[in-house]
Amino acid sequence: MPGFDFSNYNRNAALCARGMSLPKATSTGTTIVGCIFDGGVVIAADTRATSGPIVADKNCEKLHYISPNIWCAGAGTAADTEFTTALISSQLELHSLSTGRKPRVVTCMTMLKQHLFRYQGHIGAYLVVAGVDPTGTHLFTVHAHGSTDKLPYVTMGSGSLAAMSVFESSWKSNLTQEEAIDLCSKAILAGIFNDLGSGSNVDVAIITPEKTTLKRNHITPNQRVPKLGNYVFRRGTTAVLNEKVIRKEELGNFVSIHEMTEEADKMEVDT
Amino acid sequence: MSGIFAINGGACVAMVGKDCVAIACDLRLGLQALTVSNNFPKIFQYGDVFLGLTGLATDVSTVSDLFRYKVNMYRLREERDIAPRTFANLVSSTLYEKRFGPYFVGPVVAGLEPKTGEPFICGFDSIGCIDFAKDFIVSGTATDQLFGMCESLWEPNLGPEDLFETISQALLNAVDRDALSGWGAHIYIIEKDKVTKRLLKGRQD
Amino acid sequence: MEVLLGITGKDFTLIAASKAAMRGATILKASDDKTRQLNKHTLMAFSGEAGDTVQFAEYIQANAQLYSMRNETDLSPSALANFVRGELAHSLRSRKPYNVNLLLGGVDPITHKPSLYWLDYLAALAPLPYAAHGYAQYYCLSILDKHHHPDITLGQGIKLLTLCTDELKRRLPVDFKGMTVKAVTKDGIVDIEFDDDKVVKSA
Repeated sequence: MPGFDFSNYNRNAALCARGMSLPKATSTGTTIVGCIFDGGVVIAADTRATSGPIVADKNCEKLHYISPNIWCAGAGTAADTEFTTALISSQLELHSLSTGRKPRVVTCMTMLKQHLFRYQGHIGAYLVVAGVDPTGTHLFTVHAHGSTDKLPYVTMGSGSLAAMSVFESSWKSNLTQEEAIDLCSKAILAGIFNDLGSGSNVDVAIITPEKTTLKRNHITPNQRVPKLGNYVFRRGTTAVLNEKVIRKEELGNFVSIHEMTEEADKMEVDT
Repeated sequence: MSGIFAINGGACVAMVGKDCVAIACDLRLGLQALTVSNNFPKIFQYGDVFLGLTGLATDVSTVSDLFRYKVNMYRLREERDIAPRTFANLVSSTLYEKRFGPYFVGPVVAGLEPKTGEPFICGFDSIGCIDFAKDFIVSGTATDQLFGMCESLWEPNLGPEDLFETISQALLNAVDRDALSGWGAHIYIIEKDKVTKRLLKGRQD
Repeated sequence: MEVLLGITGKDFTLIAASKAAMRGATILKASDDKTRQLNKHTLMAFSGEAGDTVQFAEYIQANAQLYSMRNETDLSPSALANFVRGELAHSLRSRKPYNVNLLLGGVDPITHKPSLYWLDYLAALAPLPYAAHGYAQYYCLSILDKHHHPDITLGQGIKLLTLCTDELKRRLPVDFKGMTVKAVTKDGIVDIEFDDDKVVKSA
């Protein structure tokens, strides 16, 4: 299990007590969705990572690998989604190796919820788990406190309301693969354009019994227009006070040698 | 100004160029509005990998010492230098281990992939979430200003000389609009077979 | 309102600390020595919470001396500064951390280079040409910015120190009872006679 180290906790609590605020972690403001279709499941995500009001990453990856046939979309605290999915992915691989069976989506979902419940919501991971296993096609949501849902279409993150409105107005049963991809993409686009925490591009993963297809940057509706001018500076613009060049082949020259004084040089000899 | 990240001040930025990368930091160490030192570098070299650390000065020292130890141990075990991408994952897991009592640092990693010579930069939040970027990474109390400067000045495929001018001007002009950063700068231009370190003249106010 | 000052020069490091031991609004003692010698050529001055200061300084002193005895060689000032930082950073992560600010001055036994290290209670370490702790920072750093030069002689260093203490006497609202002044040179640590009785008139 993850060996969290609390050795800084007391110090930071003392620092907080002196009236200082704790840092803000990178959060994936995020719109993530998932939708089951006939013969598989689709999950999709936007690609914006935020730190407060600042866009920290314009093209991050929110679709996480769990196993070849199970993928996970993550919202909430970015580091938590990253490490929680990596941890469960690793445990699930060991589990499937020892049982000799393909990993199941319910197993993954149960491991995630038990892990998150143990940390009482302090691990801020909000996940959409999707996959195909020998028992069929599955789609779940897992909340940071450990609750789960099983639905034919799901949304999470700050853009979940915008995305859900698309599902609620356009979803129908017995979707084809293309229709499901299209519906999920539209839901993400609704998040991208109507939720400030979401933005940039649409990533999609399609999981079928045969294979998994990851469509990184499936739709890129926010391409930056090329700059018409450029700001390359004339060489020598910046005033330099000192310069030191270290070449690979000269590295040996940089072993430090202390000049010894006459007295220090005399070796002490045991009599 | 009241956050733990803003007690000592400082800024760091890394940029990708054509077959080269650049990483730069300011030199200020302060205590709120009082400047204690104008020679406190925030970039540390571990073999061919460079790490920039902004934030609380005590954690900058602690974390830089910790990674010196970890990289030395890696080198002894593996009998080779650590690659930037491997180092980035080491930074990430080291920081996440302290998820509920973090170090107050904003790390930036820069280097060239040892086999391909491909530029590599990335940044982290204080609990180890990696931000892989193809263009630039910023960190520190001048983050907002640096984002603005980099977003407008940076362009793809800058050679080492042009990249130096771009990163220098981005940093220098950003820290001039941040009261807690500045007081000189260090710039490293990392190429396949050489590293150039420059000390920049900056405003002393 | 404890005062700690440090100045490096051509071949020496000056360390000065106020002589008053205070508790609340009371001066308990006018001849306090807020410095400890770590080895032949390294001196440490300390200020902060009563109790913590001497306890921590003497713990460091004991360990520095133990090292010298075991290895028949002294740690350099930079090695000591990093050791002190490590100990303070370690304590910072405990239930009740030491609340101590430090100046560590020394002369390297091999290169004879003088050095001065500034450490605050958060274990932030900075090597500096001149340094101060507490309110003295606000009054003295500007004076030192203007008048300090790395090549000054010990005589010039003491003059510079007088410039600082005069300003402190003029501006600080309490009498800090003068300064203990010590100089570290390649030959060891010497006490410096310092005129504490000089009266500075304020405007």
